[in-house]
Amino acid sequence: MTTVPSDDILLEVKDLKKHFPIHGGLLRRVVGQVKAVDGVNFYIKKGETLGLVGESGCGKSTTGRTVMRLLEPTAGEVIFDDPKLGKVNVAKLDSKQLKQVRPNMQIIFQDPFSSLDPRMTVGRIIAEPLVINNVASGQALRDRVADLLTVVGLRPEHASRYPHAFSGGQRQRIGIARALALNPKLIICDEPVSALDVSIQAQVLNLLEDLQKQFDLTYLFIAHDLSVVEHISNRVAVMYVGYLVEMASTEELYHNPKHPYTEALLAAIPKPDPRNRHRPIRLPGDVPSPANPPSGCYFHPRCRYAKDICKVERPKLRDVGNEHWAACHFAEELQLAGVPRYGKSAHAMPLPTVPPPLPNKTKSESAPAPVSGD
Amino acid sequence: MSVAQQPSSSAIPTSAPESAAPEEDIVLEVQDLHVYFYTQIGVVRALNGVSFKIPRGKVLGIVGESGCGKSQTSLATMQLIPRPGKVESGKILFREFNNQEPIDLLTLERNSDEMRNIRGDNISMIFQEPMTSLNPCYTVGDQIKEAIILHQGVDKEEAHTRAVDILRKVGMPNPERIAISYPHQLSGGMRQRAMIAMALSCTPTLLIADEPTTALDVTTEAQILELMRDLQREIGMSIMFITHNLGVVAQMCDEVAVMYLGRIVEWASVDDIFYNPKHPYTILLLRSIPRLGSEEHIRLESIKGSVPDPYTRVPGCPFHPRCPSFMPGLCDVEEPPETTVDGNARHTVRCHLYT
Repeated sequence: MTTVPSDDILLEVKDLKKHFPIHGGLLRRVVGQVKAVDGVNFYIKKGETLGLVGESGCGKSTTGRTVMRLLEPTAGEVIFDDPKLGKVNVAKLDSKQLKQVRPNMQIIFQDPFSSLDPRMTVGRIIAEPLVINNVASGQALRDRVADLLTVVGLRPEHASRYPHAFSGGQRQRIGIARALALNPKLIICDEPVSALDVSIQAQVLNLLEDLQKQFDLTYLFIAHDLSVVEHISNRVAVMYVGYLVEMASTEELYHNPKHPYTEALLAAIPKPDPRNRHRPIRLPGDVPSPANPPSGCYFHPRCRYAKDICKVERPKLRDVGNEHWAACHFAEELQLAGVPRYGKSAHAMPLPTVPPPLPNKTKSESAPAPVSGD
Repeated sequence: MSVAQQPSSSAIPTSAPESAAPEEDIVLEVQDLHVYFYTQIGVVRALNGVSFKIPRGKVLGIVGESGCGKSQTSLATMQLIPRPGKVESGKILFREFNNQEPIDLLTLERNSDEMRNIRGDNISMIFQEPMTSLNPCYTVGDQIKEAIILHQGVDKEEAHTRAVDILRKVGMPNPERIAISYPHQLSGGMRQRAMIAMALSCTPTLLIADEPTTALDVTTEAQILELMRDLQREIGMSIMFITHNLGVVAQMCDEVAVMYLGRIVEWASVDDIFYNPKHPYTILLLRSIPRLGSEEHIRLESIKGSVPDPYTRVPGCPFHPRCPSFMPGLCDVEEPPETTVDGNARHTVRCHLYT
C-alpha cells in the first residue's frame, strides 16, 4: 500500500482482521462475530514511532496483540523485517519460527500493577526472557539484569525486591526493562503511561524517548491521550470501530486532519488554558458496537458531513497526498479544523519557570517550632 | 488579567472586589481539616490542615497527584471517611442559603438524620467509576427515584416524572426507556450521565465531583464537562471538582487549589494558576504536561523522585525532597506558612520563596 521503499519499513500490516465469536443459545453455537479489528492497514518505518489512537473499544489493543500474535489473527498479513530471517509474515509462522522472531518484538502493558508477577522478584521478572531464550546464565545473566535496571533508571540492588515494593512509575520501568532484555527492534507500547500521574508520566515518556535513541528502537505507541501521542509520535493512525480512518505524520494529522472523526477527537481534548475555553463538536450517539456496526462508513450516523453515499459504501483508506491516508469519501473536499499551532494562537500561554532558590535565606526567628514527627 | 478576551461561553474567573470580601457568600468553608488513618503499621496523615472556601455558584478545582488527599477532602465533607480513618480536627462549615448560620458538618453524627438530610439533598456527589457506583440490581429510574422520594417527600408517580425529567435534562436520548434500564445496559458515558442525573435530582447547593470524567473517553468527557457547566449555570450550584487532569481544570474551574501530601500548596483563580503560578510544584506540574500543537519538540520536564511513602513524615515543606528550589536549612526544617501573593488576597501559596 505504500510508496515508501520497503527497506525502510520494519512492520507492515495488511488487511489485518481479528474477529471474536459470540456464542449463544442452548448449544453455545456461534451466533455472531465481534469484529474487533476489521481490515487494518498500516506500516511503521525503522526507528520511528507510530501512535495508534482511538476511543476505548475501538480495537487498538487488539491490533497490538494480534501484531505480536498474542492473539491469532483471523485474516491478514503482518510482515516484519527480522534482522536474521528477513521479511517474514508473522501471522503465518509456525511455533518454531515464531520463537526466533519474537525476541525482536516486545510489548509493554498498560497496567503496571497486573503485568508483573507478584511472586517473582524483579530480577527474575527481567531475567525470564533471557533464560527462556538461552541468552545468558549465571553471572552474565545477573550482570545483564543489573545493566537493564540501570538503563531504565532503577538501581541494580532493586533486583532482589518484589514488585509490590515499587510505585506505579517504577513498576512501569521494570516492565520496560523486561521488554528491552532481548534487544528488540520493535516495542509495542500498549497505553504505557495512562495509569500514571502526570509527573511520573513525563518521566516514563522521557525514558522511552531516550531508549529509542540509545537502542534504535521502533515503537507502536497505543494510547488514548492525544496530547501524549502528539508528543511522542512521528506519525499517527486513528482507529474507529476496528478500522483505521486516518494515518499521517503527526504534524499533518493534528493541524490538517482529513477525517471528520479525527476533527471531533482533536476538538474534544481539554486544553490546559483557561483563556481558551471552547465548546466541543457534538458527536451524537455512542460508538457503535463492533458486533453490529452500521452500514457503509461506520462513522456516518455520527458524522455531520455525512451524505447518502456514506450510508452505502464503506470508504477505503487511501493516500490523499503526501503520505496522508484517510478513509473518507470527501477527504479532499472537507475543510476540517485541526489544533491551532501553539505560539501562533491569540492566547499563547507562557511556560512558567521555577524560581531559583533564594541565597542566604535561613530559618526565621519568629517562626513557630517545626512539628515534631512520631 | 484581561477579562475581555474570555470567550463568552465560559464562566469567567472573576476576582471579587476587596470591599465585598466580608459579606462574601460562601457555601462551604473548610478550616484546618486533619484526617488521619490509624493503620496497623502506622499513622497515615491523609489531610494535614486543609482550609478552603467555595463561593456560591463557583467551581473550585482540587488538583494533585494520587495520594495527595483530594478524595479524602471530598469524603470528609460528606462524612464518609472509611475506617480506620478519622477526622482529627477541623471544621466544615456549610451554608445552604446566604446569611444563614453555618452548620459545622463535623459536629453532626455520621448517621444522624440531619447528616442524612444534607447528604444527597443539599450536598451530593458523583464518583469516579460510573460502573461500580450504580447498583446493578435496580433500574436507573428506581435509583434516582429513591433520592427524590427520600428527600422531597413526593409519591412514587411524581418521583418517576421528576426522574424522567432530570434524565432528559442531562441529555439522555429517550429518557423514558433509560429510566427502566439497568446500569449494565448503558455505556460508560450514559452511566456517568445517570450518576449526574441522580446527583442533581434534588437540586443540591453543592455538588462534589470526584474525577467524574477520568474513566471516560475524550469525546464523552467533553460532552459531560459541557453538560456539567450548563447545568451549573442553570441551577446556580457550587461544585467541588476533583481531578488530576490540568486540561479539565482549565476548562471547568473558577478557582483552583493545588494539593500535595495532604496540604493545599497553592490556591488562586484558574487564570492565575495557569498564567501566574508561584509554587514550584504547580509550575512543574504545568511543565510536565505535553503541549498540544507546539512547534518544536520540547522535552518534557519531570519532577524528580516520586510521592513519598504515606507512612513517613517529611519534615518542613512536604515538597522539599523533590523541589528544584530547595533551600537547605529552611525548607527541610520549617513548614512554610500560607502567604498571599503580590497582595492579592485570592492567591495564596505555601512556599519559603515567598515568605
